[in-house]
Amino acid sequence: MDLFSPHLLAESGINFSTLPSQLVNGLLLGSIYALIALGYTMVYGVLRLINFAHGEVFMLGAYTSLFVAWKQGFGQGVSPDQMPQGSWGLLIGMMIISMLVCAIIGVIIEFVAYRPMRNQSRIAALITAIGISLLLQYGGQLFLPAEPPPSISEKVLPDSIQGSYTMNLKKAPPQLVADLDAAKTKLQEIKDRLVERTTAMGISEFGLPDDDPDRVAKLETQDLVNRLNPQVEEQSIAIIVPKGQLVMFGTVVMLMGILWWLVMFTKTGRAMRAAAHDFESASLMGINVNRVVVITFIIGSALAGAGAMMNAVFIRTPLTPFYGFMPGVKAFVAAVLGGIGNIPGAVLGGLVMGIAESLIVWVGYSEYKDAIAFVILIVVLMFRPGGLLGSSKVEKV
Amino acid sequence: MASVTADSPVKPGAFWGTRLLSIVLALAFCFGIGAMEGSIPPFAFRILVLAGLYVTLSVSLNLINGITGQFSIGHAAFYQVGAYVTGFLTINYFDGQPLTAIPWLVIMMIAGAAGAGIVGLMVGLPSLRLRGDYLAIVTLGFGEIISIVTRNQKALGGSYGMQIEPKIQAPWLVWLLAIICIAVCRNLIKTAHGLPFLAVREDEVASSAMGVNTTKTKVTAFVIGSAFAGAAGALYGHFESFITPDMFKMEVSFIILTMVVIGGTGSITGSTLAALFLFGLPEWLRTLKGADGNALQIPAPQVIAALFGVVVFVACARWVRDRYHEKGMKLAGAYGSAVGIAVVASLLFRPLAALIPSMAETSWEINSLRMVIFAVTLVVVMLLRPEGVLGHHEFSWAWLRSLFNKKNKEVQA
Amino acid sequence: MSEDGMTDLQEEELDRADLIHSEGGHVLSLMDATIKFGGLTAVNKVSFDLSRGDLFGLIGPNGAGKTTCFNLITGVYKPTSGEILFHGKSVAGMKPNQIAHLGICRTFQNIRLFGALSSLENVVVGGFLRHKTPLLSSLLLMPSAVTETAELREKAMHLLEVMNLADDAHTRSRDLPYGKQRRLEIARAMATDPSLILLDEPAAGMNPQEKEELSTTVRRIRDEFNKTVLLIEHDMRFVMGLCEKIVVLDHGEEIAAGGPDEVRNDPKVIEAYLGEAV
Repeated sequence: MDLFSPHLLAESGINFSTLPSQLVNGLLLGSIYALIALGYTMVYGVLRLINFAHGEVFMLGAYTSLFVAWKQGFGQGVSPDQMPQGSWGLLIGMMIISMLVCAIIGVIIEFVAYRPMRNQSRIAALITAIGISLLLQYGGQLFLPAEPPPSISEKVLPDSIQGSYTMNLKKAPPQLVADLDAAKTKLQEIKDRLVERTTAMGISEFGLPDDDPDRVAKLETQDLVNRLNPQVEEQSIAIIVPKGQLVMFGTVVMLMGILWWLVMFTKTGRAMRAAAHDFESASLMGINVNRVVVITFIIGSALAGAGAMMNAVFIRTPLTPFYGFMPGVKAFVAAVLGGIGNIPGAVLGGLVMGIAESLIVWVGYSEYKDAIAFVILIVVLMFRPGGLLGSSKVEKV
Repeated sequence: MASVTADSPVKPGAFWGTRLLSIVLALAFCFGIGAMEGSIPPFAFRILVLAGLYVTLSVSLNLINGITGQFSIGHAAFYQVGAYVTGFLTINYFDGQPLTAIPWLVIMMIAGAAGAGIVGLMVGLPSLRLRGDYLAIVTLGFGEIISIVTRNQKALGGSYGMQIEPKIQAPWLVWLLAIICIAVCRNLIKTAHGLPFLAVREDEVASSAMGVNTTKTKVTAFVIGSAFAGAAGALYGHFESFITPDMFKMEVSFIILTMVVIGGTGSITGSTLAALFLFGLPEWLRTLKGADGNALQIPAPQVIAALFGVVVFVACARWVRDRYHEKGMKLAGAYGSAVGIAVVASLLFRPLAALIPSMAETSWEINSLRMVIFAVTLVVVMLLRPEGVLGHHEFSWAWLRSLFNKKNKEVQA
Repeated sequence: MSEDGMTDLQEEELDRADLIHSEGGHVLSLMDATIKFGGLTAVNKVSFDLSRGDLFGLIGPNGAGKTTCFNLITGVYKPTSGEILFHGKSVAGMKPNQIAHLGICRTFQNIRLFGALSSLENVVVGGFLRHKTPLLSSLLLMPSAVTETAELREKAMHLLEVMNLADDAHTRSRDLPYGKQRRLEIARAMATDPSLILLDEPAAGMNPQEKEELSTTVRRIRDEFNKTVLLIEHDMRFVMGLCEKIVVLDHGEEIAAGGPDEVRNDPKVIEAYLGEAV
């Protein structure tokens, strides 16, 4: 099949050897979206409100982690050599503080802005949520450091999870690898010889005539390396994941497990499910719905805080006050995609979003990475308004 | 409310007379604004023109959001489509066609309206299946998609932007568009034709059972609303002559939304006044100069204290609204005291705010507070008066008359 | 919208005229109408015919499928199988607004008025489907639009007078007391000028005196305005006193049909309503 020859595919920006790696990347990114999406879905389940400010809670969580790291001597002005040793304790501390701060902020927002709107129309509540989101973004712009966008130093990671983990799925033919290695060694040799000669003569490499055998050999070998390199890359398939991101994934899974237990097997969880099913009846049945709402906000915001900390430490996107907006919107899309109000749905939606995004990058349209979320959203809502795992309710007439 | 109920019998004989008069007055007003160029400072004139565009944007979004109840929050996208479509046309086709600048601009206005109207149709279609918050997020998404696509199109200048040559400025046309937009919306709700739109907002199932074609109504609202935004975009692009995707950011959508919501969803008068006020206020603040002649700097503790004052005011005002069952002067007095308490609280809080580390020396330029002011206003209005300042009320001469009559009666008594 | 709207309307008008003048046939016929929601058969093979000028009652215990029947007739749901004929024309699968145009209009069990609109405006919305001026004329406030609006207003005002609501014409419908809201719903439905009007529990929540007045009004609708009336009601006394023909539903199935006396003595009906005084 000529159509699928590696050559053509490479030209179109598609390189199958990087696909597994990208899929894993997508999965890891998706786990963070899933974590944020849980907050959206839980609040929507109970209050039927899109908590627009959830992305901003996420942003504040990331800044909290940043400040903790700064306080512990990983500040911006400090040179990497003078930074203290990173440790598990620091990471866990950052995460807990970030979760606590986010939970408090979430509860304050609920109390100040959403609770007074509870008896108003849903649109009025939504507008309030948008207002709070804008306030936190632009207010954050006044108070939070953003120029240049700071990020948390890699040094906070303990030694054991620095660097990355490589898993070879398929190795390139040994002959090819050997050729490449030989070419690389030869190139190095020629370079060394050139340096030796030129320093002895007191001139630069370009002082030598163009037809100098070493210079010609250097160009030729360089060519060979350049030709072999992509071949080896194409024919070997490896997944390279930063070790920290594996820790991140494990933590996300653990947090989700805790959430599952909380929602399914505790009294509070039962109250939450009851309130999500029918807010009015739940309150009539003696469930303290205000308490349920507060707990929902605490859990949702704490999850966002954990996600923010991990996003800031392991994925290391630079922080700005608008940092929460896009992940927030994408996580919301993930929640809708899975079926809003549905907890497993949010997880599934998050993973699908992450993978979709990395696939878009993989095919070479990284500039449309942010648009894909909305395209998915529109398609899902047009054809399956209830989401993947949700059911669409028909309005009773 | 919709004025079908208002007693305003139109006498067929007088109809064309009053009609002609109002058209003449509107034109005179527009040319009056045009004539102000040169006699007032350029920045003030610029604000005047842009305010006209925002009136169009806010009133046209009000048609979709307020009157038809379809919660759209991506209005800037239509504005952008209008600007980009016509910018592209002008760059490529203006030279070598027989029209002079102004007629060409009028045609561009129509082209912008058509382009945005088509996009509005595309956005309106999902609204057939979606309601409320879902529709909101989809319109937001459409806006973002349009923005991202523009950013990545070389033909449209990418994220760098597009230089529109020639620059065509017609301030009077901006205001004429605003007046046409207001007139069209007002005419709509003045006649029976507006009622299906309002009915769809109130209850889709019931309006469909009453024979209202809800699909057609919603899409019509989207198309008309976005067409006006597109026309405004065309004028904006030619007025500025340089457009970038950043000029149509989501922020702009939120500003327009704030205008509609604060003015009172459904109230054309409210949207107009809110657009003028909310656009004018920050621009006016921007012109303020500090003692050193630079842009006015506001000390951070003052801002924090003011925010604290707002919180106190909201708390007091909500208490008054919900618990204080008096009317007239007593009620006004209660709200007055709420303001008083808030001011005192804010003054008392100020020294405390200065104690926050690093805040005592910080100060912000007034311009950077603009969006914070918007956001705070939005939340405060929602908390105190979710139906917006004017609610569903409209300005009418009858209302003005009744106000005077009441005053007269009070004077006689 | 404008041009098309006009021709659409005219065609519909002709259709309607055809339908209504097809004398002799039934106004409405349900033939084995069935609808299933997942595994639940909400309405199972229900058949009945309404003739012109009937005052027809649809009764049955809670959850019998009465309102679902209304939803089938008015196009909110599409029947899974069976046929619904209006003046001999199939309306199954048509959209609610198309059916309203043909001349079926309804009220809702859980009142669905346009809350922020005044009583008068609510009724004008009902009258709007016979509105002919194109949208463009309205947007330009052409004299034709103004005149037609005034006409609709006058008609609506008249209907409000008939329903004894004239004093509340300018009150927001949300602020009306319950009984008036029910009457306003009937006025709004009447404004669409239907040949068949469906009333979903019109007497719910009314006191005996109000119910008495309502009976009179419903009869007036039939006699003065020549409408055919189909109504759902829980109050047996009210239905027996008002309706001339009655169909009884239970668990989605038709268990009895006939005049009030027949139905009253039907053992199946007594069983369905066990414990209730029939």
